[in-house]
Amino acid sequence: MHEQSHKINNQHPMIQVKNLSVDYGRQTILSDVSFEIQRGEIVAVIGPNGSGKTTLIRAMLGLIPSNGKVLIDGEPASHIRSQIGYVPQKFQFDKDFPITVKEFLDLPKPHVHKLEHAKKLKEVGLDSSILNESLGSLSGGQLQRVLIAQATIHHPTLLILDEPSTGIDIVGEEQFYNLLKEQRDQHGTTVVLVSHDIAVISNVVDQVICVNKRLVCFGPPKQALTQEKLSELYNKTDTSVYFHHRHY
Amino acid sequence: MDILEFLQFPFMQRALIAGILLGVLLASLGIFVTLRRMAFFGEGIAHASLAGIAIAVLAGLNPLPVAIVWSIILAFLIFVLEQKTKLPIDTVIGIFFTSAMALGVVLMNFTTGYQPELMSFLFGSILSVSFADLITIAISTIVIITWLIFSRRQITFLSLSEEQAIVSGVPVRLQTAALYVALAIATVLGVKILGIILVSALLIIPPAISRLHAKSFRSHLILAVLFSEIIIVLGLALSFFFDLPSGATIILVGAFLFLFLLLFSSQ
Repeated sequence: MHEQSHKINNQHPMIQVKNLSVDYGRQTILSDVSFEIQRGEIVAVIGPNGSGKTTLIRAMLGLIPSNGKVLIDGEPASHIRSQIGYVPQKFQFDKDFPITVKEFLDLPKPHVHKLEHAKKLKEVGLDSSILNESLGSLSGGQLQRVLIAQATIHHPTLLILDEPSTGIDIVGEEQFYNLLKEQRDQHGTTVVLVSHDIAVISNVVDQVICVNKRLVCFGPPKQALTQEKLSELYNKTDTSVYFHHRHY
Repeated sequence: MDILEFLQFPFMQRALIAGILLGVLLASLGIFVTLRRMAFFGEGIAHASLAGIAIAVLAGLNPLPVAIVWSIILAFLIFVLEQKTKLPIDTVIGIFFTSAMALGVVLMNFTTGYQPELMSFLFGSILSVSFADLITIAISTIVIITWLIFSRRQITFLSLSEEQAIVSGVPVRLQTAALYVALAIATVLGVKILGIILVSALLIIPPAISRLHAKSFRSHLILAVLFSEIIIVLGLALSFFFDLPSGATIILVGAFLFLFLLLFSSQ
């Protein structure tokens, strides 16, 4: 009942962030960030290294202390965590620990049907034969795809991915962005992803959030990513380097 | 002597049943001890239990329940201090391990004469498992294993990736505290047979042997329990027939099995 009530609750924006600040000791990591994300949107968080992108994600999820207000579907993240899929920036684990891909996929919620495992792996570009392989034996790219499969297997209301295409080749990247669109179109999932690839995300996402210790710009890519804002975001005058030509 | 003759002795029957129960308990929990790299936890709790045992001896109480309560308090304090200070867990355990051990040594100084209970806790003894101890071990094992059956996925998830587990709705703080308390209870129960100095080996050796051969979490768990039972039963039998200290014999059997299977697996 609780889960259903969230899924039909369309009164709030999916994410409301108001005056969010994060300090680490005396150092300010993020200052006074505010934005709203509507349900079903695909949104990218961009910014240079050390700009506070991961901190923003972790503060939104309530994983680190912060000041200000963060509401997900009208409630604090801690109240609806079971409806959030999350892929962290780094997944460091004991690679010698014996656990199969299937067992790993089942960790958040057990009793997923075998066909669902195979279907999800296919969606992220992996063969179902990998299910009985040890998680530690996977390559970096395969592991990243398994993490994405685990985060999406229960069709979360909100999917948050921190640099998800790291280690994935160009073909896999296309599959990945198609998967995000499919999650949004078929399940109404709102997607927030941290990315460095401005050229690609400009063609995929509905909104971009540009952060560099503070909110530099927010809005649809074509409107938000102006030469002026990119210069401000990256502290560089020539921003053409950020735009390669890949379209998914 | 008939090989099954040792089973005719009631003390041996109690030791064997206690050993089998502890084999399941310590091996199952040991999987998470090795995964989380917290082998020092068992070591620390076992040594710290000396203070609880000394308190019980001074007060004229049954040492096992007192040591269990004492270790639960310590496990909870370790958890709280780890959460509040963000100090590495081995540092936190080190503080409590040495402080509680020191308290135990000071309290033992107030006891008079030879204390067989203290000696059996230090080195472990198959003679020391009373019927009341067996009941305590059985109830604790049932409760902890039941919790583990329902929580094994959550404990595995939070041990592999705490942040993902939090976001997935796993009650990470509650389950971590529960794991610490379960480990503390299991360690103190193991002290009866293995002794303070050696008990933590049974948290580590069976899961370590299992890791050499297991391909999945399920097989890891089953093999760890299986190896644990082989080590305990064989160790108890050898300690009976050759009149050797039970704890040391069990651990030596475990070490031999580890080395043997290590050679076997590398071939």
